[in-house]
Amino acid sequence: MLQQFWFLLLLALSILVCLVLMPPSTDQSSGYQYKPFIMWTPGDHVNDSTQNEVTYGYHPDQPLPFSHKLHAGDRDIPCQFCHSSASKSTVAGIPTVETCMGCHNYVNTDAEPIKQLKESFDKKKPIEWTRVHNLPHYVRFSHQVHLRARDSKGELLLGKTADEVCMACHGPVKEMTTASQYAPLQMGWCVDCHNRIREPATESKAAVPFAPVNCNVCHY
Amino acid sequence: MSMERETDELLRLERKPEVFLPADGAMEAPAAEFVPGPYYMSADERIPEVADENSRPDHGMAAVGGVTPSEGTTASQTVVDRRDILRFFSAGALMSATACVRRPAEKIVPHVRQPRDHIPGVPVVYATTCGECAAGCGVLVKTREGRPVKLEGSPEHPISQGGLCGMGQAAVQGLYHPERLKGPHVRHGRRHDPMNWDDVFQQLASALKDKKKIGIFTGGSTGHRHQFFREVLERLGSDASRLYTYEANGLFASVARAHEIAFGQSDLPRCDLKKAQVIVGIGSDFHDVGTSVVYHTKGFAQSQPFRGGSRGTFVQFESHLSLTGSRADIRHVIAPGSETHTALILLRSLYEHRASRGSAAARTQVRRFLESYDKVIAGAYQESGVSRELMDKTAEELLNAPSLVVAGGSASADENSTLLQLVTIMANVLTGAYGSTLMMENGWQPSPVKVGDLGRFLQEAPELDALFVIDSNPVFTVPESWGIRSLLEKIPLLVSVQPFPNEVDQIADISLPAHHYLESWGDEQPVAGFWSARQPAVRPTTDSRQAEDSFLWLLAYMDLSLPYKDYRSWLMDKWRRIYHLVGTRSDFETFFKAVLRRGFVGKPGSRTVGELRDLRSYFRELRPVPRGLILTAPLDSRFQDGRSAHLPVLQEMGDRLTTIAWDSWLALSPETMRKMGLRQNQLVKVRGGEQSFDVAVFPLPGLHAASAVIPRGNGHLNQMSTISYQNGVNPLVAFAKKEDPLSGQPVTASLSVELMATGDWYRLAAMQKQNDIANRSDIVKKVSLTQARKNQHKQVDLDTVPDLYPALEKKEYRWGMSIDLSKCNGCGACMVACSLENNVPQVGREQILLGREMHWIRLDRYFYGPVDQPVVTFQPVMCQHCMHAPCEAVCPVFATTHDPEGLNAMTYNRCVGTRYCANACPYKVRRFNWWTHKWGVIGSKATDRNPRALNPDVTVRTRGVMEKCSFCVGRLRDAKHEAKKEKRTVRDGEVKTACQQTCPADAISFGNLNDPDSQVSRERRDSRAYLMLGGDPEHGHYGLKTLPGVSYLAQVTLEEHPATGFGQRAGNHGHPAAEESHGAHDGD
Repeated sequence: MLQQFWFLLLLALSILVCLVLMPPSTDQSSGYQYKPFIMWTPGDHVNDSTQNEVTYGYHPDQPLPFSHKLHAGDRDIPCQFCHSSASKSTVAGIPTVETCMGCHNYVNTDAEPIKQLKESFDKKKPIEWTRVHNLPHYVRFSHQVHLRARDSKGELLLGKTADEVCMACHGPVKEMTTASQYAPLQMGWCVDCHNRIREPATESKAAVPFAPVNCNVCHY
Repeated sequence: MSMERETDELLRLERKPEVFLPADGAMEAPAAEFVPGPYYMSADERIPEVADENSRPDHGMAAVGGVTPSEGTTASQTVVDRRDILRFFSAGALMSATACVRRPAEKIVPHVRQPRDHIPGVPVVYATTCGECAAGCGVLVKTREGRPVKLEGSPEHPISQGGLCGMGQAAVQGLYHPERLKGPHVRHGRRHDPMNWDDVFQQLASALKDKKKIGIFTGGSTGHRHQFFREVLERLGSDASRLYTYEANGLFASVARAHEIAFGQSDLPRCDLKKAQVIVGIGSDFHDVGTSVVYHTKGFAQSQPFRGGSRGTFVQFESHLSLTGSRADIRHVIAPGSETHTALILLRSLYEHRASRGSAAARTQVRRFLESYDKVIAGAYQESGVSRELMDKTAEELLNAPSLVVAGGSASADENSTLLQLVTIMANVLTGAYGSTLMMENGWQPSPVKVGDLGRFLQEAPELDALFVIDSNPVFTVPESWGIRSLLEKIPLLVSVQPFPNEVDQIADISLPAHHYLESWGDEQPVAGFWSARQPAVRPTTDSRQAEDSFLWLLAYMDLSLPYKDYRSWLMDKWRRIYHLVGTRSDFETFFKAVLRRGFVGKPGSRTVGELRDLRSYFRELRPVPRGLILTAPLDSRFQDGRSAHLPVLQEMGDRLTTIAWDSWLALSPETMRKMGLRQNQLVKVRGGEQSFDVAVFPLPGLHAASAVIPRGNGHLNQMSTISYQNGVNPLVAFAKKEDPLSGQPVTASLSVELMATGDWYRLAAMQKQNDIANRSDIVKKVSLTQARKNQHKQVDLDTVPDLYPALEKKEYRWGMSIDLSKCNGCGACMVACSLENNVPQVGREQILLGREMHWIRLDRYFYGPVDQPVVTFQPVMCQHCMHAPCEAVCPVFATTHDPEGLNAMTYNRCVGTRYCANACPYKVRRFNWWTHKWGVIGSKATDRNPRALNPDVTVRTRGVMEKCSFCVGRLRDAKHEAKKEKRTVRDGEVKTACQQTCPADAISFGNLNDPDSQVSRERRDSRAYLMLGGDPEHGHYGLKTLPGVSYLAQVTLEEHPATGFGQRAGNHGHPAAEESHGAHDGD
């Protein structure tokens, strides 16, 4: 009897915890609308003291206070100027220190972070960024395919411009100071898009999704 | 049940090696009503007396290692309520669920400066030359983020032609092997202390200061390496002659020596097997080890298998079953040790045939020779057991088409081994092979070793002041009776320079870790004038230095520096000569870069070879055929002389004829075993040699009654290697100090031994169980040559099967595979390639004994016909990707589903481990992860495998998950993405699976079945094509109607062959009593 009591107690407890941790449900009927939630991440803290803005999702502290808002937003540098392998590879790639120094040899050289950057470049010591978008190890995601996805007319599927394509998943990066995870990156969110974006139906043919949804597209 | 007792029992249960061990019988009980069919997997299906009746898990296993009987029995006695276990596990699962936290933060570390042409996530491929054996195959090293993850044969390279053997594939595991030395070590007594390179060089420099007698002992190489060592020796004040080269594969030395005697050229002829329609092998092993195994397999696959209505013929005479012999159309079993005698009678038959060729002078030499040894030859028929009529017919075959005779191998490494080559040379002169199929004047194969170096070393070693042993392991590969160990121990300063520590390091005063070949510079000359370059594909993974660079450092410390900053610059100096020979218009730097990019350059050399010389005098020493039970120790086709025995992927691959993994065995003819009253897995003491040792016996069909075979390569006593230490036995301890007088190679065959049952048992981890083919005819199929010719233009439609399923939807792609059983030679490279590509774990002997090997592709082998002369079929079996897959229907969580492109997809993160799918799968290809293979433990052997060797593109599976072949879906994705970029569909041949890519026999083709012109579609329509368990569609039987995406092409056999009455034999299969004996086989 005693064992069963403990067993049930544990069960109840765990269900409770799971409910607390579960993200709020989303409205599937009107397309996917992701409502960001604040995730409890031990060891990481939401740092809103510098820019005094509310940030959502996971955004760990980074070794350098790099601002996407400044670079991609205010200065309007295209995403792929720095994340250059996104259209050639599975991974988007974090720019090398050399890429940064291409500009920062001349731009804003007196700022403290740029001095750090220069030191890293001179000492050949790479910068250890903390990963924000981290997919489970059993998922294979390719940036290049998503960036290159086009419909039958040759138009980009996920946005009008290349930057918009990036932001379809990464959210309003141009307004973020430190990169933060915008999308939940869970399977439901992936599959929703794979199902929703379809070739428009014609008289002879029903609407066909552009993207496959079979398991081994991502899991192998 | 009280809580205490419960935990106590569970704890006890945890300590047991096996919780799920069946208590009441063998793992695979024989079918109740067993009907013997034409095919069999184990000799005891024919001769039940040799079966191991004790192979029950709780019975009869001696405490020789591995599973002990006591543990087995107690496990079966422990009674634990299943519900208790479930309760415990679910509680544990919930506890872990409540403690769930976010994954630990991961770091991304980009380059400071991006290397040119490097895109993260995109592999960079380097061309280099394989350094695992002396063959010099070209390989492409696929690196991801700077680390090699997979090796592939270079398609352009004329030696490997895209293929790579299992040992070559496994090299990447050797690179990351955790037990490589982390830095130089100095031995104090039995202790090995680490030291830094500076101190080591200083110590070496002072020790070598006034020493003049310095030697280098190294393995075979055809490149510039030996020249460098000779230069170093001279610089050190020693003599260039103190470079001793030795290869355990005696074929190099004996062939080179024989050609030196016969023609005055100490080289090997290049066997161009693709031009040979008839090949006669006498104890040959070119599919197992040979002198250039991939090149020979490629050639064989182009000339021999059935294609376009014709095929070649391969006749093999051998005393034991080898991979090479298993490919023979006609295989004659001869007495062990009688290879030379067999060659002699073949020579006579050839000479006496009116169509025999050869210049008048050469024919005179042969005539004189035959006259002088008339008596020996007359007795040879009796000795070898081959009749004269048979040999005459074989000779006629040889003379009717482009042909050659290939003889000798590690199984005939006896005192006659060079004489055998001499007879073969004469035979090949008579067949006219030189110049057409044997290249001695045009692009020959330089010998990687100098003949007679071992003998010279034995004489000179006692006087040496210091010896460097580089890339060689003479302590293990030379029989112990030669006293190499004590000889080395007596040398005042012994330095071992090895990429992986071996037996020499245990006695060496100083161990200098050398680079793995993937970290080294170098070159090979596999064919004269044709150079293959070796370049590093990775920065050194441990604190090692290239052997050559170590010498340059040492010379610098001794103030004797050579004017080169490293070995690369020395090498470039030598390559300037090649640059001039090749004669391009570009400058040297561009030329060298182009060579590194491609991997090779060259213009095969040409020369004239003199007439055949008088060979009579050498045959005075011809040894008679030994009597009694003869022990042979051939090289293991997986890791040759044991150089790669520390690689778990090769150990786990298992021998493909016995299917035994992780062990050594004594193969005996089943008939002999029956006469001796021995059973499988029984331990016997092998006596009669220098030392006696215990080994378990295994009945292997196709052996001569007097033949006892233990492959060498296992049985290491090197404590620095967990994987190979005390794994199996080393048969070389039995061989006395005898050598082939002409080549100086140690004798490792033709030893008369006695066997004595010890009464103990040892379970050999044979992967293929018997008795489960259930007499089905649709698993392996065979067609005769006449039938295959008749049906040549006939087409079959395997996909039209009447059933109630809805018709298949036609998509752009339907991926399929076709495997030609005529071509597959069972080399097992596919298994290794698959394991490395797909991160398949190695599980160790204990798990294999429980039937838990994890191979996604396995190599089944079947015997057919009489036990003493079987026909062998190899069948690679992977997931068949059925269109109507039984596994998919039973999965309760949809973890295995069908992909619209015909793939049977396995979603690991969905799998909950019910294993219903494995039960439903009729092909038994699904593998269950009983453990999280931590990449750290192999069976009971705790060795930390380096996770850097994993393929980052394939998920690593955890415990409780089912897995199986995915048709390399990652490669398919990549190919489709590439095609999409270029707005086209995937071209035929553009995407290759890992097994297909490496296959040296080109037996596997893969592609789109919906493209009627693709190779795989054409092969699926071939009249020989059949589906496994697909019944007999021609007669309206459709088998299981699973509609696999994998089709097989039936093996073509010479059923009606006149020389042997093959048809007769094939007819009365399965009844040993009814076999006719035709001279080739007749007891001891």
